[in-house]
Amino acid sequence: MLSIILLSIFGIVVLFLGFQKSKNILLPATLLCIAIAFAANFVHWNDAPGLYFKEMLFENRLTMSFSAIVLLSAFLVVALTRGFADDEAAQPAEYYAIILFSLVGAIMMIGFDNLIMLFLGVEILSVSMYVLTGSDKRNLRSNEAALKYFLMGAFATGIMLFGIALLYGATGSFNLTDIRGYVGTNSFSISTLLYVGLLLVLIGMLFKVSAAPFHFWTPDVYDGAPTVFTAFMSTIVKTAGFAAIYRLLSGSFEGIYNFWWFTLAAITILTLVVGNITAVYQQSFKRMMAYSSISHAGYLLLSLTAMTAQTPDAIVFYSLAYSLATVSAFGVLMAVAREKSVQSHENAEDFEAFNGLGKRNPLLAFVLTVSMLSLAGIPLTAGFWGKFFIFGTIVERGNLIWMLIVAILMSAVGIYYYFKVIIATYMKDGETGALRVPPFYRIVLIVSTTLTLLFGLIPKLLS
Amino acid sequence: MLTLLLILIPVLSALAVLITKNNSAKQVAMVGTLFELGLAVAVFISFEPNATQQFGFSYPWIASAGIMFAGGIDGISLLLVMLTAFLTPLIVLSTFRQPYKNASTFYALILFMQAALMGVFTAADAFLFYLFFEAALIPIYFLAAVWGGENRIKVTFKFFVYTIFGSLFMLVALVYLYFQTAGLSATVPHSSAITALYKVGLDAQKQGWIFWAFFVAFAIKMPIFPFHTWQPDTYTESPTPATMLLAGIMLKMGVYGVLRFLLPIAPLGMEAWSTTAIVLSVVGIVYGSIIAIQQRDIKRLVAYSSFAHVGLMAAGVFSQTLNGVQGALIQMIAHGINVVGLFFVIEIIFSRTKSRNIEQLGGITQRTPQLTVYFMILLLGSVALPLTNGFVGEFLLLSGVYEFNKWLGTVAGLTIILGAVYMLRLFQKAMFGGKSSLTEHFADLSLSERAVLLPLAIMVFWIGLYPNSFLKLTEPAVNNLLQMVHY
Amino acid sequence: MNYLPSDYLPIIVQLVLALGFIVITMLVTHNIGPKRNSKLKDEPFECGIEAKGDARTPISIKYFLVAILFVLFDVEVIFMYPWAVNFKKLGLFGFGEMILFMGLLLAGFYYIIKKGVLEWEK
Repeated sequence: MLSIILLSIFGIVVLFLGFQKSKNILLPATLLCIAIAFAANFVHWNDAPGLYFKEMLFENRLTMSFSAIVLLSAFLVVALTRGFADDEAAQPAEYYAIILFSLVGAIMMIGFDNLIMLFLGVEILSVSMYVLTGSDKRNLRSNEAALKYFLMGAFATGIMLFGIALLYGATGSFNLTDIRGYVGTNSFSISTLLYVGLLLVLIGMLFKVSAAPFHFWTPDVYDGAPTVFTAFMSTIVKTAGFAAIYRLLSGSFEGIYNFWWFTLAAITILTLVVGNITAVYQQSFKRMMAYSSISHAGYLLLSLTAMTAQTPDAIVFYSLAYSLATVSAFGVLMAVAREKSVQSHENAEDFEAFNGLGKRNPLLAFVLTVSMLSLAGIPLTAGFWGKFFIFGTIVERGNLIWMLIVAILMSAVGIYYYFKVIIATYMKDGETGALRVPPFYRIVLIVSTTLTLLFGLIPKLLS
Repeated sequence: MLTLLLILIPVLSALAVLITKNNSAKQVAMVGTLFELGLAVAVFISFEPNATQQFGFSYPWIASAGIMFAGGIDGISLLLVMLTAFLTPLIVLSTFRQPYKNASTFYALILFMQAALMGVFTAADAFLFYLFFEAALIPIYFLAAVWGGENRIKVTFKFFVYTIFGSLFMLVALVYLYFQTAGLSATVPHSSAITALYKVGLDAQKQGWIFWAFFVAFAIKMPIFPFHTWQPDTYTESPTPATMLLAGIMLKMGVYGVLRFLLPIAPLGMEAWSTTAIVLSVVGIVYGSIIAIQQRDIKRLVAYSSFAHVGLMAAGVFSQTLNGVQGALIQMIAHGINVVGLFFVIEIIFSRTKSRNIEQLGGITQRTPQLTVYFMILLLGSVALPLTNGFVGEFLLLSGVYEFNKWLGTVAGLTIILGAVYMLRLFQKAMFGGKSSLTEHFADLSLSERAVLLPLAIMVFWIGLYPNSFLKLTEPAVNNLLQMVHY
Repeated sequence: MNYLPSDYLPIIVQLVLALGFIVITMLVTHNIGPKRNSKLKDEPFECGIEAKGDARTPISIKYFLVAILFVLFDVEVIFMYPWAVNFKKLGLFGFGEMILFMGLLLAGFYYIIKKGVLEWEK
């Protein structure tokens, strides 16, 4: 819980650091803050699970793992913001502060033990994201994305809040343990309000993780937002969202698994199908990644639907693998598009941007390939084990093999669009001339790729 | 320990190749593969011909889930390890006259491929096997897709999606079986050792499902009719070294998988479905042969012939007889040698004439008697003339299939006749006849080319004359396997 | 306390009345008044300068900033009322919390001033 407090303070500090003449200090300072929070996150690693802030927040190894993933991805993404301060109109201090605050929200979502805390966490994270999405002030599409995201997001939050109210109405408490107690003791006379409330809260949360049919905002927002914040959104928001859904369902509603599993199963299948099939038709890499993120939400939901003892491990590993791969994919895109957009403003983020990358910069090409392979779930990458563990939970549940068949068909579809990128990288001819990559980028990309491969070889590194 | 070295040495030499300059990459790769061959020979010599797994290694991988990083070599593995170790240096050597762009990456991928293949053939853990099975796909995909012919992108993509799609079903089957296994101890609920999967013992209906999940994966890999549509295009479009890897070694992964998994894990499934599988294989034999007869592109012709041959191997394995399985093993080796040789001959012809069209060639005999002799030897091995390697394998295979079902055995026997037809046609049209404008200045074989063809020719006769040196190594393992199948 | 559905009746009556009033007045005014359309009548203004351009003229962002800041600080001060009422009961702990709260608030205030939001002419 130390990390929440630290991050809040750091946020304010970074905000004031912005008054310094030199903006160069901001990035290292933010990275240092996240690193400290990362270390602070593990302070209680060896202690028994505990409740904090008057039973508002919960902390055990699982929530710490999720927080660690969030902080790690944040670290990598923030490191990619190098070159941010070059723009006259940009206000880096504010953005970094917002990022730090949003991490507070994410960690609150991961460890909430009280529905109020869940709501606060979701709001802190979402409001930050609305702002960051629109941070490219002169870009119309960024503005459009921010407004769209805000309107839809506010609506979803409203639904979720209504659901929380209904849950309170049914059980008389916001506390997860109390709700669990209610579900356990009144198993034959559960109020209808509880069912409706649960569904509404789920809808609100599923909106945040962009599961179909609540995904319509995703492509536009991902496409319009500055790439670095797209990377932020697709890793941190997703990880925190799934941690929250897991906590909600396992913490309070395991007793009525028979009620919600089918709803979740239907949404899972829809998400997998919609995400993968639509991704095939995309021309823009960012839009493709948006749909791919929808499909990955589907795989994570698969494991939630199974809800076995292995589910938390599977989600943790999958989130990590997915985050690492996504960060490197967007990192490469930024490195490529940065140069491209200088020359011509059009189509800087299409697949064609990668044409001939294998010759122009072998490192970037390799990083991109590994990340695509990992997202596609090909062995020797972390993504494979992610899928492996997820599939394992489904098999363990036993009666959901049919969902697995759909998931496999969709994985095969997934290979198609991920390979489009690899093909463009190595087999299509594009511009020539070496592509220079700033050293900061190089470090981030090498780190995330190394981790992807390392976890691909030795998945047990994370235990 | 030796087994682990067999996997690690190609990886290390691949990394070494990656950091060397393009123009010296092939020499480094050559050294690496020769070293690997030496190691494999050491394994071959010290191997005891019994049914146990030898030179094993085992390290905890995901220990809490009972998943180990474990491998070892038994008789069945041994032959394929030998094949891989023997063919890879020849494949590397065969590229010496042909400059490839980005050579260091090219050779590194070949070596990574070798490592993955070694892993597939020696893995003792189901998930480790799967990992290598898939990992082998990545280097070969890039080899084919980057250095391949005109249509390479579309073709290799189809190949990749096909195979991944198939193996995902296998993954499901493996995960399912894994959850049925008994654990090693109280804290480790399951085990993914292949031997643990053998002990699962499902009922007949579930075994049927398992059978199909595995069958699709392996049938695509081999390929068996009707899962073969990726194969001729991929073989034709890939650069010749990649084609050699695909046809010479990678195809054997499918047969090996059937032997290692399908037979012992789903014997009841086999009982129910093996006839179907054999019928499909036999259809593939006849179909592939007939199409091969009509081909003009010589590379495509050999691709279809390979498809026909592998059908026979599959039929032999699915017959579950000692002769069938032994025949399949020896034929895997023989086919690997012959097909690599044939593809190399085609590459020699193509690199000199820039044509693979059978109609444009002819009269090569007069220019290079040496090539003619080597080509003839490989060709005779391929059409299973007695005293050559192909004869031993096909004889055992056919007798195995015949034992299983007389009619199917008879139809499968057509392979010898049809094989002779298309192969001799190829030889006649390409080598004899009048010289064409393309073959007029056909240069004689170079030293490196002879160095590739000579060992292959020696092997053709060695296996043909004294097959027992291999058969006696595999027999205990095969008997052991068949015991599991029949009970 | 249990509420029967009939206990909600007054609310429904209220709802129906409110809706009914609106609907009826609209219907009545539309129907009994005479309708005369002319080009002049459709103009936004009957006299004065002819209307031109977009009504959405840019207004200085400073107005919005000040308005938002007012709302922000106004709302935050509301927290002080319940705190003041319970001041004795909360004791020293409550005092500390409020100091922290005010500290954060003042930090925000300081930030605003440093940013120059309140400098009207610049």
